[in-house]
Amino acid sequence: MSAKLVMKQVTKTYGEGDGAMTVLNHLDLTVNEGEFIAVLGPSGSGKSTFLSAAGALLTPTSGEILLDGESLRDKDKGELTELRLKKIGFMFQSAQLLPFLKVEEQLLYVAKLAKLSPKEAKVRAAYLLKRLEIWERRNHYPEQLSGGEKQRVAIARAWMNKPAILFADEPTASLDYSRGREVVRMIADEVRSEGKAAVMVTHDERMLDWCDRVLHLEDGVLVEAHSLN
Amino acid sequence: MFLAIREMRHSKARYSLIMVIMLLVSFLVLFVTGLARGLAYANISALKNMPANYFAVQSDADHTFRRSQLTDTELAAARSVAGEANATPLGVQTSTITAAGADVKADITFFAVDMTGMLAPEVTEGAGFTNEVQGSAIADSKLEQSGVTIGSTIRDQASGMSWTVTGFVKDSSYSHTPVVYINQLDWQAMKQGTVQGGGGSGKANAPYNVIALDVTAAQAGQIADQLQSVEVITQKQAIASVPGYSAEQNSLMMMIVFLIVIAAVVLAVFFYVITIQKTSQFGILKAMGTKMSYLAWSVIGQVMLLSVASLVLGILLTLGMNMGLPDTMPFELDGQTMAMTSLLFIGMSLLGSLISVARVAKVDALEAIGRTGA
Repeated sequence: MSAKLVMKQVTKTYGEGDGAMTVLNHLDLTVNEGEFIAVLGPSGSGKSTFLSAAGALLTPTSGEILLDGESLRDKDKGELTELRLKKIGFMFQSAQLLPFLKVEEQLLYVAKLAKLSPKEAKVRAAYLLKRLEIWERRNHYPEQLSGGEKQRVAIARAWMNKPAILFADEPTASLDYSRGREVVRMIADEVRSEGKAAVMVTHDERMLDWCDRVLHLEDGVLVEAHSLN
Repeated sequence: MFLAIREMRHSKARYSLIMVIMLLVSFLVLFVTGLARGLAYANISALKNMPANYFAVQSDADHTFRRSQLTDTELAAARSVAGEANATPLGVQTSTITAAGADVKADITFFAVDMTGMLAPEVTEGAGFTNEVQGSAIADSKLEQSGVTIGSTIRDQASGMSWTVTGFVKDSSYSHTPVVYINQLDWQAMKQGTVQGGGGSGKANAPYNVIALDVTAAQAGQIADQLQSVEVITQKQAIASVPGYSAEQNSLMMMIVFLIVIAAVVLAVFFYVITIQKTSQFGILKAMGTKMSYLAWSVIGQVMLLSVASLVLGILLTLGMNMGLPDTMPFELDGQTMAMTSLLFIGMSLLGSLISVARVAKVDALEAIGRTGA
């Protein structure tokens, strides 16, 4: 089994001198293929910083991050953008679909960025949309969808370019309990069927049933939470 | 363009609105340009249609034809350089005429020319006359509209002389007045009285105003060097010095410049506001791996599409409007002017869109994480 994400001694400090604030403090994490990990923590604990660093959006002050075996160190902005496109699938809070694209086009757009052939993209989009049971809504705009449907489109969009790993930022924040659980179950299903990995950041402890491991972000490091399950 | 087009499809009302504004401004720009050109042409078409590319004027005349006085000596000198056919005298006299048998009183400008030389008017209606005939004239067709016909007798109020109109020419105005062409014989007769009255000798030929030249730049320089107190100016300079011409064109030019600037500012501000509204979207797009160059082309593409589309409609509207304009309203828009104006308009729009592009460049992909957003 290969590691999809490896974080070694990652530290992120904001500010300098006395006012410096260390958000990530020598954090270590390894996520293997087929693993679905949840990271818990109250707001302000550094979850966003953790996700940004892991997602190649933020360069850590020190430490090393490897995505699908590839080190993020010494990569310039353009290379990181390319890497995010090919290796990472993002799910944002409140889905964050583009309001002016129809459901199917949301997927075709990321495929187009990755220079997938239009024909291939169509097939892949249809496959994902059918599996996530949103195929009938493919010609709708996001404003016509419910919150749960939007997040399902977001899952499909995140998996579109067959990334190595999926990062989900509070995917259930805007959903009620049962729809939230449904969305998490779908992420877990995709991780298993595609043989990929996923990291979900959340503050909602009711959403953890399908996660392989649950970690707490405390004082800048991740702690295994045995007590919870 | 994938994003640009779909976004416009989704927000039709928003983008139609900006297109209507741009359409109106581009129409206004083209229309005022056409009017400015039309006015210019109506003002000085007689000069513009002359085959002369240089004019010799008295150096203290400020390039103004009517202030200049040149004699046979200067003409001979100019001809020695340019050749007999390429230098010809021109007399200019503004006056008021009345026409017998018609209730006409009109301000006109007499052009005294050599009827066999290069300035001889090209008659479009009726017939010309020779240098030896006295009492004949060719008038601009605008006089025809005020009731003068071929065979009419027109009388100069100042000198009391009369001419029979033998033909008409088209597009021959000077300082917004129709031009009446007479030959040098009548010019001498008209001027002798003045010269004698002024206490002159009366024997010498009455002076001309300017000498029209069809020469190379080198020859023009040579003539200017040879003749003291004579300046050789280009046709452009001569036109710019026609009384009222510069003032008229400058005001219109200022309007056009302001219109183009306003169009650019309106578009720039509109797109900037839209861009600010979409900040979170750009963050998401960047986080997902969209290259900055792609986003920049998306913004520029939208501006291009909008400005080109509204410009095309603006051109059609201008041409349509032109067909409905009355003849008395001078309007002239040639392809070259139109192309230049259009390019300027699109160029300014693109310049304005760069502000939005700069704004998009500043958006950090990090904004996508941890935002509840819309």
